[in-house]
Amino acid sequence: MTFLQLVINGVALGAAYALVALGFVFIVNATSAVNFAHGDLVMAGGYVAVGLGALAPLPILVLLPVVAAIMFAVGIAVALVAYFPLANRPPSTVFISTLLCGIVLQNLFLVLFGPQARAAPPLIKSGIVHLGGIEISIQALGTLGVAAALIALQYVVFMRTQIGRRLRATAQDRQMAQAVGIRTSAVIAATFGFGTALAGVAGALLANQFFVYPTGGISLSVYAYIAVVIGGWGSIAGAVIGALMISIFQVVVSAYVSYAVATGLLYVSLLLIFFFRPQGIFGELVQRRV
Amino acid sequence: MASWLLAGIRLPLLLGAAALIGYAVFFASPYDLRVLTLCGIYALLVLGFQFIFGHAGAVSLSQATFFGIGGYVTGILATRYGLPFLVTFPSSIAGPALLAVIVGVPVLKLEEHYFSLATLGIGLVVLLLAIQWSDVTGGTNGLAGIPAIEIAGFAVADRRSVLWFVWGVVALACLLAHQVTRGLHGRAYHLMRENREAAASLGLNVAELRFSAFVLSAAYGGAAGALMAHVIHVVSPENLDLTLMVTCLTMTVIGGRTRIAGAILGATLIVYLREWFRVLENYYMIAYGTVALAVLIAAPYGLVGALERLRVFLFGRSTAKPPVMTTGALPAAPRQSSVAAPTPEPLLAVDDVALAFGGVTALDGVSLACRQGEIVGLIGPNGSGKTTLLNVMSGLYSCQAGRVTFLAHDITAAPAYAIARLGLARTFQHIHLVDELSVLDNIAVARAGIDGGGLLRAIGTFGRDHRLDAARRIAWAAADRLGIAAFAMEPCGSLPYGTRRRVEVARAFATGPRVILLDEPAAGLNEQEQIDLAERIRSFGADGMTVLVVEHNLVFLAALAQRLICLDRGKVIASGLPEAVRREPAVIEAYLGLDADVPELALTEPS
Repeated sequence: MTFLQLVINGVALGAAYALVALGFVFIVNATSAVNFAHGDLVMAGGYVAVGLGALAPLPILVLLPVVAAIMFAVGIAVALVAYFPLANRPPSTVFISTLLCGIVLQNLFLVLFGPQARAAPPLIKSGIVHLGGIEISIQALGTLGVAAALIALQYVVFMRTQIGRRLRATAQDRQMAQAVGIRTSAVIAATFGFGTALAGVAGALLANQFFVYPTGGISLSVYAYIAVVIGGWGSIAGAVIGALMISIFQVVVSAYVSYAVATGLLYVSLLLIFFFRPQGIFGELVQRRV
Repeated sequence: MASWLLAGIRLPLLLGAAALIGYAVFFASPYDLRVLTLCGIYALLVLGFQFIFGHAGAVSLSQATFFGIGGYVTGILATRYGLPFLVTFPSSIAGPALLAVIVGVPVLKLEEHYFSLATLGIGLVVLLLAIQWSDVTGGTNGLAGIPAIEIAGFAVADRRSVLWFVWGVVALACLLAHQVTRGLHGRAYHLMRENREAAASLGLNVAELRFSAFVLSAAYGGAAGALMAHVIHVVSPENLDLTLMVTCLTMTVIGGRTRIAGAILGATLIVYLREWFRVLENYYMIAYGTVALAVLIAAPYGLVGALERLRVFLFGRSTAKPPVMTTGALPAAPRQSSVAAPTPEPLLAVDDVALAFGGVTALDGVSLACRQGEIVGLIGPNGSGKTTLLNVMSGLYSCQAGRVTFLAHDITAAPAYAIARLGLARTFQHIHLVDELSVLDNIAVARAGIDGGGLLRAIGTFGRDHRLDAARRIAWAAADRLGIAAFAMEPCGSLPYGTRRRVEVARAFATGPRVILLDEPAAGLNEQEQIDLAERIRSFGADGMTVLVVEHNLVFLAALAQRLICLDRGKVIASGLPEAVRREPAVIEAYLGLDADVPELALTEPS
């Protein structure tokens, strides 16, 4: 395989990771809490796609809105259970409540679907397109297309609509947003819904090529966390770029060494980044505000 | 003795402990003994985690890694080299502690999420090493055949002796944790967790406190891992797993983040929850997660926190003064470090200091000087650089050019805690107090950096902590000086804003400073409170203390300051007697944005 081929494969995987990281950073911004059930919610989206695919033999592209709607509701449920009762406690409490949610989800998957990996139907159809000397699967192209469309949509909603302004206002300063009449609880619940819907779509996209299995979400939560940290805490564009960097690193490096060593190298490079740039790759070095 | 027993929640905890011991001695089956042993091992792990997570307030995700390393060190040394327990156990404590020492310095500099992720990364690298380096670690299978504990020929082999041995270690670990956290040293952790800048400005070496907490947590984790290896006779990569980390976090949060009893309660409850739910077979982890989540929501301060709150709800809060405060006369004001000594002139000087944040110039060649016993007001519109200047003086920011001199020392690049120990105290615009601690203890923390004596002293102090007693006496005098002695035993969280302000000023005063910098001390106070506070601050000056007050409120300053300095856009635009500065055209223009035909800046609050 050529290097270019590897990079393209990495970008296709990165598109799905970007959606995962995007949902994660939404929730981080709105609540300043890390949602560690996020990876498990990606798996939930994958399982929903598997289930829907078994009910109705349609391409996943058609079922995506249904997956997103179901996951939106799941996200609000997660917020009601794991976030709102603990909103006034230190952020590490929410970290743990979402971890516990994740444990419940993982074992729910185990009971419902068994320990084996499952695959969802393809986005449109399976097959490979040849572009010059490069092979791209239709699934990868579709993933890229869906991710690009959703990221663009997210940008328009955030920057151009009243809902987006409310979301940003709540993320930036909750008390101030409340003072100008925004119902911040509703906005936060909606943020959990949106973030989880994005996670669900990402799961449905990943579930064809990379399968879903009960414990598959843990590493995705970690990747989302890493993406948001190296992209600069809270930065939406940074999260997308961070996700792409992780996936390209994984695909390119694991072509030359084993997957385990590639994962190890990913963490070692992360630690080196921290050592030389404690503020993250894109973060600006600012003195702490006092 | 009876009053000791009835204080806090000691009685129910002791009864619970007695019940558990009775169960272990008379009723427990061999299987129960094993489960109770596991409780002890997890309690040890959690006790260690409380140092970094509970006391230092940093969400470390490498506690399971330290546990795993401890297990592997014991496993490798015992199975491959046949070394005895008295060698393997100390090595298992030293190994993780050494790793913590090596990674601690760079990693602890990172801010919250970056720190968490870095510790997670370290854990995952170690896990991969354990799996890949199979010649030494046994790869995914791990190492089997780890012998039982044997000390000088005595084998600790049967389940009952293992149980007592493990819990004996836990008891020692509890004692050590108690020594570290009970006295003045332990109170320092509370403020550091609340706000690191405030802690540093009182002379606490925050980096050192965090570092020692991290190393202690690693040592405890290693000890727990070693015991686990002896109890189950195997070490495998599971010992390093993220799942174990999640369990440890859950136990800590559910038991209580900073309480020793919380570690034991959390570990015992979580281990038993899993045992009870095993009958549910496939559903047991779902039930476990749900119940743990329910406990977390129902008792957000942990089980021990819930018990303490229940006690306060049922019996009210004990507001008895500590015995030191009730005996003898009211102690004297805090030690004024060598006020009588000849002082350099000026006491505090800022020369041509400049600081820019990116493209924004916050300070642009500021120079000023304060003499001993002088009360100086620092005014200027919002964003003119007043607080930034205070941050540079107190060492929280480092300036890019210029020099700060204090008591003839060049403190330009000195760390905040060293400047504070030299005798420069400050308060903040936003109040940083520890809500759970009493007013007295909040003020007493001011002495922790100056004469707290550090970690080793704290560990070696048995009986009464005389440093804490001395600190409380000084705190009492400081509280009295600010007129808040009546609230001294109240927890700070329940006090009105004006009182909290005064607690903060009292805390800065209790360091016994030569110079005190007050950042908007009158903000949010009513007129009566302002007059009272001005009166008290004036008395600081009369005692020979230099006071620099940042304020917008010119009425407040008029009653207080002998001299005003006005900053605008990072430059000193006026300096001198208050009336003269108020008449200065540049000052009026800076404040009101008008031409200078307004005769004098009105004596009203501009905002």
